[in-house]
Amino acid sequence: MKVRFILNNREVEVDVDPREILLDTLRYRFGLKSVKRGCERGECGTCTVLINDKPVYSCMVLTVQVEGQRITTVEGLVNDDLFKKIIVSFAEKGAIQCGFCTPGFILTAYALYRIKDKPSIEDILKALEGNLCRCTGYKKIVDALTSIRS
Amino acid sequence: MSIEDPYELLSKWFEAKEYLVVGKSVTRSDSIEKAIGKARFLEDYYEPGRMLFVKQLLSTEPHAIIESIDYSDALKLTNIVGVFTAKNIPGINNVGYALPDQPLLAEGKVRYHGEPIALIASWDIDDAFKALEMIRVKYKRLTPIYDPLEAMERKDILIHDEQGSNIAFTTKVRKGDIERGFSESSTIVKNTYKTHHQEHAYLETEAALAIPDIQGRINIISCAQYPHLAQRIVSKVLGIPASNIRIITPYIGGAFGGKDDEGPLVAAKAALVAYLTGKPAFLIYSREESIRIHPKREATIIEYTSGVDDNGYLKAIKVKIIHDTGAYTNRGPYILWRATMHSSGPYYVPNAWVDGYCVYTNKVPQGSFRGFGNPSIQFAVESQMDELAKKLGIDPIELRLKNLLRPGMDTITGQKLDHSVGVADLVDKLARKMEWSKVRRELEDWNKRSNRYKRGLGIGVAWHGISTSRGVPDWSNAYIKIERDGSVNVYTGIVEIGQGTPTTSYRQIVAEALGAPLEYINVVFGTTDAPDTGATHASRGTSIGAIGVLVAAAKIRERLNRLASDILKTNPENIVIRNGRVFDKISNREIRWEELIQEAYNRGVEVSATGYFYLPKGKFDDKIGQGFAYPAYSFVAVAVLVEIDTWTGKVRVLKAWPGLAAGKIINPTQVEGQIEGAIAQGIGYVLYEKLEFGSKGEILNADLTDYVIPTIQDVTLDVEKPVYVEDKYKYGPFGAKGVGEMAFIPLPAAIANAVSHALNKRVTTLPLTPENVLKLIGGL
Amino acid sequence: MFYVLPRFNYYRPNSLDEVLKLINELENYKILAGGTDLLIDMRIKRYTPRNIVDINRINELQYIREDNEYIRIGSLTRLQDIIESNIIREKLPLLYNAVYNMASWQIRNRATIGGNLCNASPAADTAPPLMVYNAKLVVSSINGSREISILDFFKGPRETDLRNNELLVEIKIPKPHIHGYSYRKIGRRNAFTLSIVAIATYVEIENNIFRDVRIALNSVAPKPVRAWSVEEYLKNKRIDREEIYKASELVVKDISPISDVRASADYRRKLSIILIRETLFEASKITG
Ligand SMILES: Cc1cc2nc3c(=O)[nH]c(=O)nc-3n(C[C@H](O)[C@H](O)[C@H](O)COP(=O)(O)OP(=O)(O)OC[C@H]3O[C@@H](n4cnc5c(N)ncnc54)[C@H](O)[C@@H]3O)c2cc1C
Ligand code: FES
Ligand code: FES
Repeated sequence: MKVRFILNNREVEVDVDPREILLDTLRYRFGLKSVKRGCERGECGTCTVLINDKPVYSCMVLTVQVEGQRITTVEGLVNDDLFKKIIVSFAEKGAIQCGFCTPGFILTAYALYRIKDKPSIEDILKALEGNLCRCTGYKKIVDALTSIRS
Repeated sequence: MSIEDPYELLSKWFEAKEYLVVGKSVTRSDSIEKAIGKARFLEDYYEPGRMLFVKQLLSTEPHAIIESIDYSDALKLTNIVGVFTAKNIPGINNVGYALPDQPLLAEGKVRYHGEPIALIASWDIDDAFKALEMIRVKYKRLTPIYDPLEAMERKDILIHDEQGSNIAFTTKVRKGDIERGFSESSTIVKNTYKTHHQEHAYLETEAALAIPDIQGRINIISCAQYPHLAQRIVSKVLGIPASNIRIITPYIGGAFGGKDDEGPLVAAKAALVAYLTGKPAFLIYSREESIRIHPKREATIIEYTSGVDDNGYLKAIKVKIIHDTGAYTNRGPYILWRATMHSSGPYYVPNAWVDGYCVYTNKVPQGSFRGFGNPSIQFAVESQMDELAKKLGIDPIELRLKNLLRPGMDTITGQKLDHSVGVADLVDKLARKMEWSKVRRELEDWNKRSNRYKRGLGIGVAWHGISTSRGVPDWSNAYIKIERDGSVNVYTGIVEIGQGTPTTSYRQIVAEALGAPLEYINVVFGTTDAPDTGATHASRGTSIGAIGVLVAAAKIRERLNRLASDILKTNPENIVIRNGRVFDKISNREIRWEELIQEAYNRGVEVSATGYFYLPKGKFDDKIGQGFAYPAYSFVAVAVLVEIDTWTGKVRVLKAWPGLAAGKIINPTQVEGQIEGAIAQGIGYVLYEKLEFGSKGEILNADLTDYVIPTIQDVTLDVEKPVYVEDKYKYGPFGAKGVGEMAFIPLPAAIANAVSHALNKRVTTLPLTPENVLKLIGGL
Repeated sequence: MFYVLPRFNYYRPNSLDEVLKLINELENYKILAGGTDLLIDMRIKRYTPRNIVDINRINELQYIREDNEYIRIGSLTRLQDIIESNIIREKLPLLYNAVYNMASWQIRNRATIGGNLCNASPAADTAPPLMVYNAKLVVSSINGSREISILDFFKGPRETDLRNNELLVEIKIPKPHIHGYSYRKIGRRNAFTLSIVAIATYVEIENNIFRDVRIALNSVAPKPVRAWSVEEYLKNKRIDREEIYKASELVVKDISPISDVRASADYRRKLSIILIRETLFEASKITG
């Protein structure tokens, strides 16, 4: 089935089986390896992408469902100022260890900062509750995000 | 001749008074790559359709004879290339680390629900899954045993016939005379403690990609924590020389010990398929498979008796440790060994009697997990200390300070610790900084006013031997070469599993020792192209792994100092190389780093070196469990404040105060990251995480919905800056000891002590799920 | 790669009529709303529908509206839209609280209220608040529409009163009178977790007397339940600490919890009592 959508600001078209999940389309048809597979059942957050600026798990979406939608992964944000601010803060604060969870966290945080430029700690914790990290203990992630509140 | 004796080089750098980059919070070189998705993890190398996809058939029986495996129908599927079982293994089907008891693929018998039996190789994922459902395994059921106590008694049911008993391995310590010790004790406490399994739940599951090349070698992209071990295991399974196997490690999405056990086996399975088919083969564990197959943190039963005299000095301990090792020992004997030799805690005990049992059951095996047998035993030790203090009517910190090891004292194994024993200082410093007594007192008042919620403050103090146990050889190595343009390549077998060793501390150490700018240093990690560096485990990545890096760099530095002194016409002692500037501190004459290296190439000075270092160790007598156990110990103390809802049984950790005596701290941010991560993992272990087993010994919650690890809302963000005592260790690089596992080790003890303090009831069983807490209070 | 989804035919109708026609004709189909339950159920082969009817194009099912009598929520309304709605936050605080504590942002951005109800899990978190609000579910088929009280909707685990050709289109909630309320969800961790017990408590109080008490719980029976015995006992009684204690114990008559990987039956029973007490205290603004 043909599906057209906007991926990282580019119009794209793919021909997929309706069973194909967005996670696989992004990884294997577009080489977007930032989108990680941790569980494939909506439990971990490593496959987070933005659909129309909202974070969702790409393992829980069929590719055929994104017809006409706007998909963003970190690869599409490398020139974005807010994004740069977030990743630099993550790096400087030591919020990245193994890094497997990192793109997911950054996208969710980015989506949050797009709607609130001064989120409270509660907002941050609430927004990120669906992104698991087994390495950092989250403290440095929260530090990284609170330190960029404008 | 330049001095290239590793001991002299190490002690020279050990004496350094000031540092350029060591001890600074240098940002890791891999952060941005990881943030923008450029860093490659295992699945990133898989190309569907061009590589075989491997799927595993797992046992659905806990204990059974395999009568037949019929996969003839599966082979009829168009994309199936083969189904491989134990009988296809060309080499030796035995991958046990400690004992030769574990097959790569079940042979004759299955011993746990989830044990791998066959590998399906398919060009397409769909067919691999289809094939899985078409394979028929005929089992003859045997009676399973799940309870280690029962397993110890039973002789009629043997999980491993060849062993003649379900007790796979025993350990002991006999020190002094415990009868006398107990008779000198005025206060004796006896308790039985129980701890449970823990699943690693690294966010990246296990995977491997094996690629045969035209030279007949097999290249394996692997997630093993020890590439050279993976190489050995693959060589054994395939029956081909290790030199034909090359291991490369990409970034790994968390490991915590789990990929030390499972990693080589994943590599071997992928390699087996690649070897048998001649095609690249990719194996990835689904989350469910990962949880069902790989070994877990030990589940234990510990009977502990300790006695103190009137003055609060420990006189004797008697301990019985039972580890439920599951279907295979894996590293169980080493884990038990470590638990046994740490069973005194970091305290001086003149008389000790310890027996350890590693017992088979028909469950998922026990294996390596941050702390390696130590968190459970320190939980028992530290619970005992609190109970003793309570009975004696003294403060828990005061009792600990009386008994903590100090330089010159001997350990439970009779090993004299002559230096690098900062634990007493550490506990004292931590207690002062956090105002322990004041906080405890305030809490007790708070509790008087509060009915429903109760608060408690508890501490766990622990020690952890660095390097492998006993006289088991341990060494370090690395290979460094400086390229013509002055940039530097460092080759190490140490892997990057999140801890950041290769991407921070190694770069710092090399930059420090060579004087080259930090950004010139590139580390090639996790490869068998580097000399065998040992594993990235046992908190040895920096402590031991980096010795080789320092020695290699220091060797080259000696040569460069001499070369520079020739060029600048001065003595080598006057040469300073710092951040790419090379100068004579007398005349201030100067050349640039790049020029120096160019000259080295021109004048025939070798600017490459290996840094082999063999760690000196002593003797150990297994019959009495006395002698040299570890070259050095790191020490840790963590205090936690908890709040308990006595209605629902919910516990929250409100705050944590960590402290560490781990020698020189090479990168504070990295160390904090390890501490905070370990605290979160410890909170998860004690409060939330619990494997549930069904009637077949199967794991019922093999997913992240029902095996719950902490989210961002479940940890405490209030973790104080760590207190450090830099009790430098003479063979550590710049005096560093291990850090990675440390903060986890006292966490179960600290939380349990805090909960016990709040409720005035001794916690002896983990986890502290709301349900178990209510039971403890008597509310259920 | 960790799973494979079974093959299916994919339909993506553009209007409600089309949907109703399709589901009238198709055999062995499943509606795909947010997919957060369905995709997992297909992966673990609980369901292997031959046909999937994706209703995500049906914008006419996404709304939150208020008229004189009712607050109406389209069945395809995303959970995140529910907590971002002022109407819900102000007028249906129990629903707001329940949805706020569901899953994660990523899931809430996809998952729908209709999916949560039609999936009919005993742990469905939107059920307790809707049950105390006495919500009505409007279901449609090509033959027309009917209303089902939410109290009659759940039949058992994953079973509802929906007929094979019916679609849930609207959740219709009578506007509550001024009331006290309290919501609790206890899971195995503090966030992003399924409930061990969740409870919605609603009270109408007049002159210190309980004029109306409505309590609903999930995860303590094959389907979400009302605590009828507790409600009956307290109705028209004075607000009194002792009475609340007594009443809370009665909940055991209304529930039939089981032991599973999430909790034991005993703990669920205990929690039900404790939470009823706690929420009644909070809802009637007295301290325990
Ligand atoms: C990680 C994770 C966490 C979760 N946490 C929670 C939680 O905390 N609390 C909770 O209650 N649930 C939770 N869920 C479950 C799930 O997200 C919710 O039940 C969600 O509301 C389902 O909505 P959906 O639109 O995704 O449903 P779908 O998956 O699209 O549908 C669910 C079922 O309902 C049917 N259906 C959907 N819409 C209609 C309709 N209009 N008419 C008729 N039938 C219909 C479908 O055919 C399917 O059988 C969680 C799920 C995941 C994966
Ligand atoms: S892979 Fe999608 S949430 Fe885990
Ligand atoms: S950094 Fe490893 S999971 Fe977050």
